[in-house]
Amino acid sequence: MASVVGTFTVDPRSRAAAKRRTRNESATGWAFVSPSVLIILGLSVVPVLWSLLLSFQVNDLVSPSEWVGLANYKALMKDPTFGAAVEHTLIYTVLYVPLSVVAGLAIAIALDRKIAFIGLYRTLVFVPFVVSAAAQGVLFSFVLDPEFGVANSVLHKVGLPAQGFFSDPGQALYLLVAISLWSGTGFCVIVYLAGLQGVSTDLVEAARIDGAGRFGVLRHVVLPSLTPVTIFLLLFQAINALQVFDLVFVTTKGGPLGSTTVIVYFIWEKAFKTFTAGYSAAAAYALAVALLVIGVALQLYRRRAAAR
Amino acid sequence: MSQHALTLSRRDVLRAAAAVAAAGTLGACGKSKEDPKGAGGVVSVDLWHGQVDTGKAAIDALINEFNKSHPNIKVVGGGGGVTADSMLQKVTAGLAGGSYPDVAYIFGSDLASLTKSPKVADLTGALKIDDYWPAAKDAVSVKGKVRAAPALLDSLCLVYNKKLFAAAGVPAPQAGWTWDDFVTTAKALTNPGKGIFGTGWPGVGDEDTVWRIWPMIWDLGGDVVSGDGKKVGFDQVGEQALGTLDRLRSDKSLYVDPKPGSEQLYQVFLGGRMAMVATGPWQLPELIDNHLDYGVVPLPSYSGKPVTISGPDTWTVFDNGKAKVQAATEFVKWMADPAQDIQWDMEGGSLPITKATAELPQWKKHSTETNGLDVFVKALDSAKVRPTITAYPQISQNLGQAIAAVLLGKQSPGDAIKQAVDQCNQVLAVPN
Repeated sequence: MASVVGTFTVDPRSRAAAKRRTRNESATGWAFVSPSVLIILGLSVVPVLWSLLLSFQVNDLVSPSEWVGLANYKALMKDPTFGAAVEHTLIYTVLYVPLSVVAGLAIAIALDRKIAFIGLYRTLVFVPFVVSAAAQGVLFSFVLDPEFGVANSVLHKVGLPAQGFFSDPGQALYLLVAISLWSGTGFCVIVYLAGLQGVSTDLVEAARIDGAGRFGVLRHVVLPSLTPVTIFLLLFQAINALQVFDLVFVTTKGGPLGSTTVIVYFIWEKAFKTFTAGYSAAAAYALAVALLVIGVALQLYRRRAAAR
Repeated sequence: MSQHALTLSRRDVLRAAAAVAAAGTLGACGKSKEDPKGAGGVVSVDLWHGQVDTGKAAIDALINEFNKSHPNIKVVGGGGGVTADSMLQKVTAGLAGGSYPDVAYIFGSDLASLTKSPKVADLTGALKIDDYWPAAKDAVSVKGKVRAAPALLDSLCLVYNKKLFAAAGVPAPQAGWTWDDFVTTAKALTNPGKGIFGTGWPGVGDEDTVWRIWPMIWDLGGDVVSGDGKKVGFDQVGEQALGTLDRLRSDKSLYVDPKPGSEQLYQVFLGGRMAMVATGPWQLPELIDNHLDYGVVPLPSYSGKPVTISGPDTWTVFDNGKAKVQAATEFVKWMADPAQDIQWDMEGGSLPITKATAELPQWKKHSTETNGLDVFVKALDSAKVRPTITAYPQISQNLGQAIAAVLLGKQSPGDAIKQAVDQCNQVLAVPN
């Protein structure tokens, strides 16, 4: 009988020992990870929380701050400059993300074959991606200089009128998209090339035997197999596009006449040119929430697609 | 049992190691608050000078000399890792983070907004302020107090390329000329076939675009802000000043530099593609190095009376404790003494900060050897400075957009100035 009782109730002594053992183990575990926990807390979590607090304050980084609640966010909603920055960022993203992904896929499929010097072609496509945005900016502002650039002298030779490029408020933003495509497409190509290696040759062969043409194989076998890669690229490129800053900083500084002021440049300008750090933090949080929403939405879509 | 004891002790060792590592990590994060008086009672002064090339060489030599003659102070130069253009951002981030230099090179137009920080030392009474040129004195005074020491003094004059004038058969400009003369001259010198512009203007819309317009506004009887500081002072005359730029633009005699920093503007001039450029004395060494045959005249005006702008830069002292402020003040004071001022002026391209320096035989020799330098010094007599008010950066931003809009032909001078005036008046309506 005692043995039966023993199976149903736990000896309190052994329970205490188990607890102690768990506590000891978890303490040891924490001891192991504590350096990285401290680094993550100190360098990621604390600044994130600090900037959240900052967004509820009037703060010029030098004099004592004042708590203003949601006033920064309210002002942000009404600020036409921020509205314009959001618009420019959206135009940039809507052009850059689909174009870079589609072009990346097209080039990847073109390069996914065994021809002479294929390694060289693949490398050349990827090279612009390795060039830093700052270097790209310097490079293109030389090429596109309205008075002394190569681009206008070529236009002149073929008899076309000279363009303002970065001096023209109507062209500057689209030029930034073009420069980003020049460099950003290479990344999509490489990721798609890797993805294409994972497309099951059995499926492709089966589809061929069933009479599918090249387009049919692409449409019904290759593209569905690449869906996870495509979703990753869409998310990655969208985050990159919404956060574009360095290229703007080097080439146009948000100009001419504010035509290339994107959200992150707006944030920089508010924090380090007019020194309204609280307002700037509010704008940064608005952007962060937007990025989070996009990330979660794509994640949910992928889960639903996987469940089907 | 012995097994158990061994396990425990190993864990203890690990925990202790982790704790030490964690403490090390945390310790590295905070700024170590060292004793201002280090070994042997020497106070170290952290100086962020932001100079490059010749300017850096000049300041390094002066720091060496100071450290030799002041055994109790050790000035450490070169900190900050930024050029003067980005110094304000760097220092502000430093102030927010609680880790800032003892002395930094701050532009005069940024000083007023920086003095909102309680960490900027008050130098009232510590400097021989009455020895400075009036422009230098005004630039370091904020709300009646001395908040920095002058670091560099300049004035804006017009440098022209003699060869291009001769090629176009245009007589050289003379002091007392008007903006009408300037527009006509610029048009006569422009040669699109050869890619030669009459003159140029920075087109980004930042402070570099803006400060060149103030002499025109002052000459027309306007000002940056009205007497009571509640409204802008250029609402009446701004249109006329921008109108002059608009004429240059429609004549196609104006090169508008699309890049930040105005480097390209001066490169175009150095390359012999621009006949006239408004610039400071700091440009002269480069002109001489490039063997450009140039002349210097005062800026044109509307009234015929000379007027120009001086954009002094400052040594701003920050409060890192009494001993450090004292040592830093000693250093900036020493720098403005004629014996040091003269070295800095001759190597670094500044005008003399004090009139006493300008009287030194060394300076007089330097001035006669450097073509046009005397014109810049003489212009100091009629030079005004931008007001040291906290709203200035915002006024500059709004007016900069207006000027850029006119330079790019996107707005008429009247519309552009009206918009800028409205925006600036909103800024000025906020009490500060």
